[in-house]
Amino acid sequence: MSPLPRRRARKSRVAARAATAMALALGLAACSGAGPATQERTGIILGRAMDVTTLDISRSLCDTCQIYNAAVYESLLRATPEGSLEPLLAESWTANADNTQFTFTLRADAVFSDGSPVEAKDVEWSWERLKNLAGSPSYFMAGVSDVQAPDARTVVVTSELPNSAFFNIASAGYTGVINSDVAAQNGATADANAASTDQAEQWFLGNSAGSGQYVLDSYAEGTQLVLKRNDNYWGEAPNFTDVTIKEVTDSSAQLQQLQQGDIDVAMQLSFDALGQIENDPNLSTEVVPSFNFVYLALSPGKPGGEALQDPRVREAIRKSIDYTSAIDATVAGNGEKQATGIPNGFEGTEGLPLPEYDPEGAKALLAEAGYGGGLALQAVFPTFTIYGVNFATMMQSIQQSLQGVGIQLDLQPLEYQAWADRLAEGIPVTAVYFAPDHPDAIQYVQYFGLIEGSVWAERAGMPVNPQEQQLAVSALAQTGEQRTATYSQLAELMYNDAIILPVVNPKYLLASSADVTGNNLDITRNLDLTRIRFATG
Amino acid sequence: MIRFVAKRLALMPLLLWGIVTIAFLLSHAVADNPLASIVGERNLGNPDVVRAATERWGLDKSLPEQYFVYIANLLQGDMGTSFRTKAPVGADLAVRLPATLELAAVALVFAIVIGTLLGVLAARMRGKLVDGVVRVLALLGSSLPVFWVGLIFLFLFYATLGVAAGPGRLSARVIPPPDATGFYTVDALLAGDWPLFVDAFQHLLMPALIMSLALLGTVIRIVRSQMLEEQGSDYARTARAKGMTRGQVLNRHVLRNAITPVITIVGVSVGLLIMGAVLIETIFSWNGIGTYAVESSRALDFPAITGVCLVGGCIFLVANLITDIAYAVVDPRVRLS
Repeated sequence: MSPLPRRRARKSRVAARAATAMALALGLAACSGAGPATQERTGIILGRAMDVTTLDISRSLCDTCQIYNAAVYESLLRATPEGSLEPLLAESWTANADNTQFTFTLRADAVFSDGSPVEAKDVEWSWERLKNLAGSPSYFMAGVSDVQAPDARTVVVTSELPNSAFFNIASAGYTGVINSDVAAQNGATADANAASTDQAEQWFLGNSAGSGQYVLDSYAEGTQLVLKRNDNYWGEAPNFTDVTIKEVTDSSAQLQQLQQGDIDVAMQLSFDALGQIENDPNLSTEVVPSFNFVYLALSPGKPGGEALQDPRVREAIRKSIDYTSAIDATVAGNGEKQATGIPNGFEGTEGLPLPEYDPEGAKALLAEAGYGGGLALQAVFPTFTIYGVNFATMMQSIQQSLQGVGIQLDLQPLEYQAWADRLAEGIPVTAVYFAPDHPDAIQYVQYFGLIEGSVWAERAGMPVNPQEQQLAVSALAQTGEQRTATYSQLAELMYNDAIILPVVNPKYLLASSADVTGNNLDITRNLDLTRIRFATG
Repeated sequence: MIRFVAKRLALMPLLLWGIVTIAFLLSHAVADNPLASIVGERNLGNPDVVRAATERWGLDKSLPEQYFVYIANLLQGDMGTSFRTKAPVGADLAVRLPATLELAAVALVFAIVIGTLLGVLAARMRGKLVDGVVRVLALLGSSLPVFWVGLIFLFLFYATLGVAAGPGRLSARVIPPPDATGFYTVDALLAGDWPLFVDAFQHLLMPALIMSLALLGTVIRIVRSQMLEEQGSDYARTARAKGMTRGQVLNRHVLRNAITPVITIVGVSVGLLIMGAVLIETIFSWNGIGTYAVESSRALDFPAITGVCLVGGCIFLVANLITDIAYAVVDPRVRLS
């Protein structure tokens, strides 16, 4: 054999040995017990499917945004778990007699994360930007005609019409106050044409400018959102050095990671998981009521919905739904029935009749309306799961119930975009969901009621109900028991409209490692980080 | 060869323009509107919000106008801004592409090294138990659905036995390395952080192994059959007659010839591996280009969809070029022209 092949052979052997050594090193590495640098367990990791589309508070509208906005920014008021309001950035607040002017006095000691004081000009700027951006949460400022800052600590808001809900609205995280100087330096503007001139959205993806307990540390879309303690926080010290919201897309993955200790809180566990973890000593679980709900929406005024123009047919559909079966099928029985588009527990809902499964009553109503031989309806709905409710499962359950009284529901599941497009055209029967933005019932009246500007009045193709319109206007001019009574009347009218038929008001499964206390579902914050903490921390 | 490479490189911009144009037109050909993902279902009935969003994202412009604006921006290196993430598409891809490339690179190494070793072993042990086992493994690798294997492995090795790292690129509470290449293993080594490298590598192992399975099965089968074919050829018999051992003939002559078709398969598979990583990425919470592509498609995020297609096209073109070059290097009979 020539020397050349021998050299090649030697080289090959050397290469092979090097490769083997490398493989061994990697293998050893893989088995090595040495741990990498980790964040101390003074920080909490929340596992959830993040629905964040922006971190610009004035453009955001999502469940995860509620957590982020409340942690990083602060509103003037905050809603307590009991539903009342308490001071946050504002120490006092008053309204004029006809509820068209609202005056807030800011705390003197509140500062932004850069140490500069929170001033009335920041509130004025933030709320004007919120309105002028014409972004998803701009409706919080609907009807606000003027925001003034007569001095550094006074904010005066003027509304075109009476709006006694404004203080509740001012407790929503989306109305949080931005450090106007910092944001303006980075392309933000509150001008009237902000919708086309504001350039700050990308800046907000990497920076925050609030006065909350935390500041944005980093955001990697699809991976995690990390907040760290605001060292300049003016109030009570935050419970954690850092908060990580980790993208864990589905319930089973959240369960696995919670069991393995990779996350401290699993935020969207389905009730199927409850049996596996409720007796686990390392985990803590609690089932709590929520204000979320999933509903069937009927559109009598849209093509294909002609039969629904008869209120008896709509009432028959309400009576045809086997709510218990639907609640069992979707959330394993962990849900409640709900009367109308205003969730249980909100002002005006006390004493409302809950829907009952009454197939005989439904048949009688259908016969009375001339549909004794049955009718067919098209049901187009989005194919997703929200609040533990799988829409396909729910609609199949409803289809089965309705079949019992002679209503054939033609189910057409669609991807979200395609379904949303069909909404504009009008869908005779669809399924949607709703979660509250703030603790005032007016949000439901304005969205579901047959009043001017209502989204569902338009989608359903229904005319304005003058009585509802009048009551909605009256409610916003009232306060206290008088307003509660008006909301009750509105809720009854909305019940009789039978346009929105809530199917399930799902409960919420709080699940965390055993050393976490104060886990919660908050009405405006989704998860209130001021209440959750490590028991040993 | 230089002329060949130069010619191929010169053709690339034209091909990429074609890819971008087709991707742009196809994504806009979908009848649905991306507004729902931009403003949300609740705001679709709000004309002010819809108008502002339509104008802001250029959806009020005609299709040709949108196309020319996109191409003009692209020529300046701007791939547009994602409707969904609100970040520049280029920045989004710069974060996600290294994650997928790292995963695919390790999967590729697994497929080539393990596949070749097992293929050679099966050929040498033809007809014996080892051969049978390897052939069954190859069959399973090619036929088992990746998502099923992924879920089973996660449940078994991570959730039940606790011997494997969980989803994600790093363990909980582990701080990522300073960003240099976007490959966590490489960045950890560059930072001199051995424990971090170990953590990143542990997280790579399971998804990369599962990702490699289909290609692994193919490589095993090709290497085995080629080895068997080449073993019976004249040059192998001659080498044996001249006194070389069977092992020397196999390792020095037969393997080299047997591996040539593997290069073709691997070359073709690289693009598919990277662009088809979505299932693995979803199961293992691996924030790569696959999940980005799917999420962007679901949101009808036109700039992101077109950006992914552009990057995917680049990957396929470069992989094919490298394959052709490698083929010529390994097999001197091949002349590039």
